[in-house]
Amino acid sequence: MHALSLPLLVAQVSPQDVEIEMARLQRNYEFLSWGLTAAWLILVVYVLMLVSRQRKLRREIASLRAMLEERQK
Amino acid sequence: MSTRDKIIYALALAAMVLLTRNIYLIARLPGELQQGAIFKIIFFHVPVAATAMFASVFSLAASVLFLITKNFKYDALAVASTEVGLAFLAANLVTGSIWARVIWGVWWAWDVRLTSALVCWLLYAGYLILRQAIEEPTQRATFAAIFSIFAFIDVPIVYLSIRLFRTQHPGPVFFTSQGSFPHDWSMILMWNMFAMMMLAAVLTLVRLREEDAQREIDSLRRMAHAF
Repeated sequence: MHALSLPLLVAQVSPQDVEIEMARLQRNYEFLSWGLTAAWLILVVYVLMLVSRQRKLRREIASLRAMLEERQK
Repeated sequence: MSTRDKIIYALALAAMVLLTRNIYLIARLPGELQQGAIFKIIFFHVPVAATAMFASVFSLAASVLFLITKNFKYDALAVASTEVGLAFLAANLVTGSIWARVIWGVWWAWDVRLTSALVCWLLYAGYLILRQAIEEPTQRATFAAIFSIFAFIDVPIVYLSIRLFRTQHPGPVFFTSQGSFPHDWSMILMWNMFAMMMLAAVLTLVRLREEDAQREIDSLRRMAHAF
């Protein structure tokens, strides 16, 4: 069935149809890559935010401890 | 290295291995008949949504437990899971919008599912803003817990919207007889959901460590004021 209908189908398809379909597929891949990049970017930015906040908190703890030790002397 | 750190590293490694495996399998899948390659975005769009929903359930449970026990560990868990859930929900909204642009021809539609998901994101963002606005820790935790319970009202609306209303967003294709998702595709999606949840657990544990550090800072400041 497929072997018979495929040549018939190909005969009905114009080069313009092929071009349109290829452009659609290309556009699909582009949007897929944009979507995945955006999703991962959001998570990566969040991880970077966590890391920078943690560094800031560590610095603050160290400075407060140093200040308390200084006052105790 | 503490036990919590070891758990964080082990979970992160397992999540990365699983995600790499899943990405490899998803890349090898053929495009869907009607939608083509863009359909593969479902393997991220749905898992991040499910992860965000689980995070909101954790946040609700932790908020209720804080109000009952007044234990600040539950408040820390609530803020950590809310923040992580918010990042995952943002990823869900963005992937959904890009998918919509290809299939519907528009970036956004004000239907019940999309609007309730956006409202959910805004409510949980409001929760984090509220926390920034209150200085006193007990008052901050109490008000935030009450707000978190209020914000959770929107979560079942998001979940049920495609079941109860006719929406631009497609109806459910998982855990229902209406769906026609192939079994092996469902398995990949489930594994990716599991990997995303592991990633969310890692981020929540890291965020909890921040809350511990913040509590230490609060106590050091009190000591500094006492001198």
